[in-house]
Amino acid sequence: MVLLQRPHILLLLIGTHQFLQCWIAFGSVNEEGQKQEEFSEELLLKPLPDHKLLAHFHFQSSGPPSTSNGCHHHLFPKAISQLVQKFRIKEMELSFTKGRWNYESWGGFDPLSSSNAKPPGVELWAVFDVPQHHIDASWKNLTHTLSGLFCASINFLESTATYSTPEWSFPPASGNVRYGTLPCEAVCTENLTPWLKLLPCRDKAGIALLLDRPSLYRGFYHSQQLHLTSTGSSSEGIDSGIILEQTLTVVLQPNSEMAIEVHASEKHIQPSWSLSSIFGKQVSGRCVLAKPSSVYLLLDRGLSAANGLTSENFWSNPSFELSANPDRIFLEESSSHSKSLSILYMFQVEKYCESEPFDIGLMWKVPVAWLCQQTPLHASRFLMGSGNERAAIAISLKSTQFTEGFMSANSKDGSCELRVDVFQVVPWYVKVYFHSLRVFVDQQPRAVSDIIEKIHVSPSKDKMSPGVMEVVLKLPCRVNTAALTIEFDKGFLRIDEYLPDANQGFDIPSAIISFPNFHASMVFLEDDSLNKSPLLSKFQEKCPVMSYTEVLLVPLTTPDFSMPYNVITITCTVFALYFGSLLNVLQRRVAEEERFLKAKAAKKTGRLPLLLSKLSAKLRGRRLEPLHSPPSSSSFINSKLVLKVILVAGLAVGWQYFFS
Amino acid sequence: METFINPKSLFHLLLLPCLLLYSSIAYNSSPVEAAMHTNNWAVLVCTSRFWFNYRHMANTLSLYRTVKRLGIPDERIILMLADDMACNTRNKYPAQVFNNENHRLNLYGDNVEVDYRGYEVTVENFLRVLTGRHETAVPRSKRLLSDEGSHILLYMTGHGGDEFLKFQDSEELQSHDLADAVKQMKEKHRFKELLIMVDTCQAATLFNQLQSPGVLAIGSSMKGENSYSHHLDSDVGVSVVDRFTYYTLAFFERLNIYDNASLSSLFSSYNPSLLMSTAYYRKDLYKRRLEEVPVTNFFGSVMETIHTDAAYKALSRRNSGRFEDEMSLDQSVHHIKRRMLIKVNDGDEIHDINPELLQGEEGASKCPWSTFRNKFQKAENVDSLLNYGLVAMIPLLVISTWLVQ
Repeated sequence: MVLLQRPHILLLLIGTHQFLQCWIAFGSVNEEGQKQEEFSEELLLKPLPDHKLLAHFHFQSSGPPSTSNGCHHHLFPKAISQLVQKFRIKEMELSFTKGRWNYESWGGFDPLSSSNAKPPGVELWAVFDVPQHHIDASWKNLTHTLSGLFCASINFLESTATYSTPEWSFPPASGNVRYGTLPCEAVCTENLTPWLKLLPCRDKAGIALLLDRPSLYRGFYHSQQLHLTSTGSSSEGIDSGIILEQTLTVVLQPNSEMAIEVHASEKHIQPSWSLSSIFGKQVSGRCVLAKPSSVYLLLDRGLSAANGLTSENFWSNPSFELSANPDRIFLEESSSHSKSLSILYMFQVEKYCESEPFDIGLMWKVPVAWLCQQTPLHASRFLMGSGNERAAIAISLKSTQFTEGFMSANSKDGSCELRVDVFQVVPWYVKVYFHSLRVFVDQQPRAVSDIIEKIHVSPSKDKMSPGVMEVVLKLPCRVNTAALTIEFDKGFLRIDEYLPDANQGFDIPSAIISFPNFHASMVFLEDDSLNKSPLLSKFQEKCPVMSYTEVLLVPLTTPDFSMPYNVITITCTVFALYFGSLLNVLQRRVAEEERFLKAKAAKKTGRLPLLLSKLSAKLRGRRLEPLHSPPSSSSFINSKLVLKVILVAGLAVGWQYFFS
Repeated sequence: METFINPKSLFHLLLLPCLLLYSSIAYNSSPVEAAMHTNNWAVLVCTSRFWFNYRHMANTLSLYRTVKRLGIPDERIILMLADDMACNTRNKYPAQVFNNENHRLNLYGDNVEVDYRGYEVTVENFLRVLTGRHETAVPRSKRLLSDEGSHILLYMTGHGGDEFLKFQDSEELQSHDLADAVKQMKEKHRFKELLIMVDTCQAATLFNQLQSPGVLAIGSSMKGENSYSHHLDSDVGVSVVDRFTYYTLAFFERLNIYDNASLSSLFSSYNPSLLMSTAYYRKDLYKRRLEEVPVTNFFGSVMETIHTDAAYKALSRRNSGRFEDEMSLDQSVHHIKRRMLIKVNDGDEIHDINPELLQGEEGASKCPWSTFRNKFQKAENVDSLLNYGLVAMIPLLVISTWLVQ
């Protein structure tokens, strides 16, 4: 065995060596030619108001149009480029999420939350660049491929009953888009493993080194995403460049060991943390293949205002202490919405090495309290009604502190309106009655036509397609609460369609509430190094503000599997009773029986009674008195018997004849 | 009845044994079929859902870790886990699964790859994996791409009973299903040797219907016996490992990839008093001597080295594309390997047996009812049976008339 193994390793070594040489040669040639494949790794840390910490990993690989080097890639994962080429994907996003984004305390009006807050489970949407009638086939194959790639049951999205085609209310994309979610899909290490394998350094070097599985999954919220954008159009035969963004957003509770030292009276002080205390690991140098490799610390508007940080004094921070000196500090461009500005501290990982690993820590000195910027309206969804027959879905929208500010800003022009888009998909077994849609504004019922500007409905078909509802609401700016209710019937499933744990209920995927008039973006003051950072340029993009509602769990009538057994036993009993009595009625000849009984009584013969009477007589020591013996029936060979014998013989003869 | 005695069907019935005989002869005579052992696969299945069945997942993951350690790469392991225990909300240790209360070893590790999980673990998918009858869209990572040179380890754990294994608490895999799938695999040349290892109550009954040559089966308990869990972890709150798997692991922990421990040493390592059940292995279908078969034949992996005279030339060997072909640098090593393989081949040819013969043997060893059924199923017997029946009717008739009198 030893001997057998050795040449293999040798071969491998030689192979890798040659490959490296090739790679270096190729790289240098390419450098002169055209745009190279690029990879960047970034980590953004953001303290959250409720004593938690948000860590956002952002890895971006870009593959330029690969006409020159065919199917070869240096940094870009081949699996993804093959996927894009095969299914002609224009844009795709796959997210694995565990936990629910807390819009109230973690915010909803910044680029981070509007693009990284995702519904629980798996969400997949894709825009295809194929003719209309091929899209469904592409989608089906894509789901299978992704399920193989990411170790998840994404292939359950292949059936037409699980995915939908949003027309216009799905903000990230429009056109040939398909959208599907699996709310109860588990997310765990096996999904992260293949995701990490797409990175050129995997989790062996660079920032990805921090991804310690137990500490990641211990968090309150965990969302792992993969976003693909294929620039240019491949339909014209031009090979397109691809941008692959891999993000991982986690909300963690910093270990408050350090905070224990602080006096007990200062309970409200934010916990201090460091990278090593959160993840149990440190960054020992960058991934050598990553162009920018940096860590950011973001103090959002509310926090910097609470700290009294302004554009003048942000160098001297009285309320907290950083364990490492930032390399740069960025200030947000002042916006119309608020006076305070976000502050971004940047740390370059390149400067650190194995002997001096990078570890940033933040130590709070005084307690601070602030609020994150929230969505214009806070959306939540719940079920109404009871019983197994019918119920109703309600989506409620509540104004937040943002709306108040917005209202006061726009109060000059009297007729100000707030546009809200609602996108709701319901599975087919939730049979929604769209006519029962009702709207309440400030707890007053309103005519649907007053509030709803536009509605698009595609009713569900049993086992074929889900029901889709897209609504545009025009709410007055001064709205405090608004609610939408819609009634539905609970459908019946076939016995093989129930899941193994059907009695836990069935999920209704999250509704998407988006605010098309608002865009979240974070523009940091112009700097030439900014253009290099994909994370910050992503923040600069105007992304629509949207939020996901809760996943609903609808209890459906689950079959009691002991029922069939009960039915079988009852049916059998009924059948037995029925046929038994029927046979009895048909067979019994009362007159004959009576005669027979009479004869028997007269005869009183029978072997056993005779024997018994003999025995008893013997026991009693008396002689057996001879019974009155009736004349023995001479009809031993009666006609009935003959008939029977003939019948059987005839049957037998017929049988034999027929089969021979 | 009519079709039963139909001359055409009778002809077919008569033809079938001839065909079988012919195929078995063809099988033995063609040298290509006696393929050498070229690759290893593992199919590891945990069939139970719900948190209290934590130990079944821990069992499967322990085996996963063992075969990975002994050299089977991830792409040749099909791992099926019916529920998510590692990131279950009830799990105090997220992304970690332990099979021992000392918590020294995190079975889930950092690089686990689960191929089928959750609701995907069904009898249908399991049989599809074995027989290779997938939809076209199913990716390669979810397929068992074995060939006639593969040694496959099939490990299953869950709740079972007499001749069945429960999947997800809603379906059952019957011993007939398993036997049919294995037979189909054999016909499709999907394996050379197959080791089925089952840790469930009455596991031995699951092998009753197996009849394909080259199959070795071991179960944790005999008919009428339960398989018990080993110990409870009070931190996790549930039992973490089953006894049979625990002692299997105890055996493997001492081994490394180069060890030559034989299968018989593994099988004899099970102590019924520790197991609280009798580990049963069925080896009548497997014709190599267990003392000569190293456990790494199933739990480890072989790397094929193919010698070519000229460098960088396309290989003409059949199916060569599937293997990681590599040039052999060391000629002597190659020779050793070649010799070994020849030896293995010899062994195969000697022990290849006629399936017809085997069936006969099996029939005799079974209970009288099945022999009666076998006889009954033969077409020639029907006429005589009919006659017997008629004859038997006459005394009945006589008795009945006499009673009526």
